[in-house]
Amino acid sequence: MNTTSNNQKNLNRFASRTVRTAMTCLLFALAPFASAESLLIKGGKVISLSDAGTLEQADILIRDGRIEQVAADLGSIPADTVIDAAGKVVAPGFIAPHSELGLTEISAAASTNDNAVAGQSVGAAFDPSVAFNPHSTLIPFNRAGGLTRAIVTPGSQENIFAGQGFAIKLNGAFDSVAKAGLVQRIYLGEYGGSLAGGSRANAFAQLRSALDEAREYAENKAAIRRGEWRDLTHSVADLEALQPLLNGEQMAMIGANRASDILQVLALAKAFNLKLVIEGAAEGWMVSDQLAAAGVPVVIDAMSNSPDAFERLGARMENAALLNKAGVTVAISGPGYGGSHNSYLSRQAAGNAVAFGLPYEEGVRAVSANVAKIFGLKGGVIAPGEVADLVVWSGDPLEVTSYAEAVLIDGKPQSLVTRSTRLRDRYLKPQPGYGHAYKN
Amino acid sequence: MRVHRLKSALPLGLALGGALLLGGCGNGEEKADSKTADFARQDAFPSTYIAAESAPVLIRGANLLTGTGEQLDGADILLQDGKIKAVGKGLKAPRKAEVIDAAGKWVTPGIIDVHSHLGDYPAPAIESSQDGNEMTAPNTAQVWAEHSVWTQDPQFPLALAGGVTTLQILPGSANLFGGRGVTLKNVPGRSVQDMKFPGAPYGLKMACGENPKRVYGGKGTLPSTRMGNVAGYRQAWIEASAYKKKWEEFQKNGGDEPDRDLQMETLAGVLNGDILVHNHCYRGEEMAIMMDIANEFGFQVSTFHHAVEAYKVADLLAKNKVCAAMWADWWGFKHEAFDMTEANIAIVDQAKGCAMIHSDSEVGIQRLNEETAKAMVAGQRAGFDIQPKDAVVWMTMNPARALGIEKATGSLEKGKMGDVVIWSGNPFSVYSKAEKVFIDGVMMYDRDDKSRQPHSDFELGILEAEGVRL
Repeated sequence: MNTTSNNQKNLNRFASRTVRTAMTCLLFALAPFASAESLLIKGGKVISLSDAGTLEQADILIRDGRIEQVAADLGSIPADTVIDAAGKVVAPGFIAPHSELGLTEISAAASTNDNAVAGQSVGAAFDPSVAFNPHSTLIPFNRAGGLTRAIVTPGSQENIFAGQGFAIKLNGAFDSVAKAGLVQRIYLGEYGGSLAGGSRANAFAQLRSALDEAREYAENKAAIRRGEWRDLTHSVADLEALQPLLNGEQMAMIGANRASDILQVLALAKAFNLKLVIEGAAEGWMVSDQLAAAGVPVVIDAMSNSPDAFERLGARMENAALLNKAGVTVAISGPGYGGSHNSYLSRQAAGNAVAFGLPYEEGVRAVSANVAKIFGLKGGVIAPGEVADLVVWSGDPLEVTSYAEAVLIDGKPQSLVTRSTRLRDRYLKPQPGYGHAYKN
Repeated sequence: MRVHRLKSALPLGLALGGALLLGGCGNGEEKADSKTADFARQDAFPSTYIAAESAPVLIRGANLLTGTGEQLDGADILLQDGKIKAVGKGLKAPRKAEVIDAAGKWVTPGIIDVHSHLGDYPAPAIESSQDGNEMTAPNTAQVWAEHSVWTQDPQFPLALAGGVTTLQILPGSANLFGGRGVTLKNVPGRSVQDMKFPGAPYGLKMACGENPKRVYGGKGTLPSTRMGNVAGYRQAWIEASAYKKKWEEFQKNGGDEPDRDLQMETLAGVLNGDILVHNHCYRGEEMAIMMDIANEFGFQVSTFHHAVEAYKVADLLAKNKVCAAMWADWWGFKHEAFDMTEANIAIVDQAKGCAMIHSDSEVGIQRLNEETAKAMVAGQRAGFDIQPKDAVVWMTMNPARALGIEKATGSLEKGKMGDVVIWSGNPFSVYSKAEKVFIDGVMMYDRDDKSRQPHSDFELGILEAEGVRL
């Protein structure tokens, strides 16, 4: 993988188009771009999410992809590029806690989807990271919306084991899968029950038996491989894939919403010593003390307040606030209706959570630092030594009227041009004739 | 109230003689001639909605977004006898009026969602209550969405808490002709008639594109292509034209009374201007074709819904006086939703079209103000001067036009229904909430008073026997 050429490509893209269109309102001092090794963001309000808290006005010096200094005033310290962020807000790049970015282009077009398999015996071993497409149109769109990293997870309509999730950067580079095999995605609750023959009890039983069998496999690998063992329910590939989960090297991302389901998941995870994150947790607020005591984080859809399923009768807007108050680490995903295409709307969801009682900085944390913390990713904090994934916002990053004016991944300014902005510019004043086709 | 909408400059062979006034984009005008047959059957299931008696309400010192393109800061609005009695500064409180100090608050007309399935796809979403798509034939113009509405859907009160006072419930988009939509006041009701917006014209749901061809192509029947879709529409309009003619001849000449046909009644109701076409249509090409079909058969399309590519044909929409109902940023779930731009609403608006936000979602309907805010900013970033006073029209007055109820509601104007929302702040902020929601002058929702927050039957005792759901 030639990182240099990818970086150069990004820079060219940035210089040629971004400056002209999407970022015309940002005050960029376009110092020589040729060696953008150092970059200074001057005078913005900095939501650091570090011990330094929120700095009303500060400078951030970035060198070689890392944050080097954060201080109230770095003066005229030399830098290859300077971004004037006066009146703007600088926040860590946002991180989607689950998505299908790079595995889907058009949800209803089967040929463009690689996130799930049907009619195959694979479960836990399914690793879609090799299918990741960094050139998906969803990447620049979500990046322009302020996302710099994401967890990408498979789905399944057949198996409570959907497969393995991975982490990506949204810089569009061929090497932008940051870590594969990060999580096992597992469905329990109503959906798990529907996949397990019609009862959530059997979904739990299937998970238990798979984990039991994975242990049995680990302890008797040689005999099993020699064929001197009882018939196992799961394939060797799936049982191999479950080993990192049993060893605590991989997270279990388990879907559950009903309060009683969440408690059952906690008990099961404790029994197998799983590193657990619960996804959904619509009724998490009812068992927030138990979640906090178990140290189990949650990924929630903070805009889901409708009792749209019997397992979500307790859904409410205060879920994030109540979980946070109890000491649960909360990550907020984009609203379910938006799907992966609008993963970046996690910031709107976080804004809504703040409107319903989540402390403001916790709202920002829920779409950045907490996601990094839960999944062990880089980013999420603005502090010396941290990776320079940053976004300069026109205003409050959780506010629906704000927008990203600059997005940095590994310290590199990213293009904010998307199909959406290209189409907009082509049809700003639609009129008869074929003129539009000659506008790039 | 009856609103007849017919298109100007039509080949009016099918229209009932006499002068026709320009209608379009919901800008309904009374037709000069007398009616023939009541194809719409407007009163088959008449509205039984009755607003409660209420004391006058004077809302003082708020920032008013009127829905007519104005922002009045520090102004008052008086609701009396269910209507907006006055708007302006320094209004006097009538005797026994409730006076609300709204300094620092914002006031808008009640939000109107032109595209909802509440009640037809209620929560919880279980098979037994999925009543929004009659997916058994490509033309089911004979079905009426109101007959599926479960009035106890707990999503109605959630939408009310989001400031929605009026909403159109539409059938789904599986069919070329999905059936009739119904416009409701967002009030609790034991029957759907208790919720029906008095006098609102019916809608006819039509659908372009992928959905009908997928559903019926999958069954090996017409349509399996977009050209099959178009043949299906035209064939139906030919039949409806004949049906309408047969009844007109009967009314004129007497003779044997023709048989009634529910499907044909709805289509004929469109042809005579009583029923408004609400057309699910994503692509620019398809919108252009649908407008030509409307010309061919002499009717008017009220609104293209989910019009992801409306911006591509914004000039055509404006010329044909067809509204477009759009999302702020949904895309990519289907190929026909791939060419999304966040400036869609703004571009249609700037081309002098009738642009609006819509939800099609139990989540989105609660936050149409946020969705509008995103579309407004996208317009500003495209270089247009669009302010809150302009953008509010996208969630109030323009959907009222699309539904043919713009003379009754949709703006803060004297004489209109007292459908009003008091917001905690600028409604185009994620942090602002609808604090008080009035429908016909009655406070139907008060965020600060639990006794003024409706709950559906479903929500009682659902998590604990003695409580409501929360």
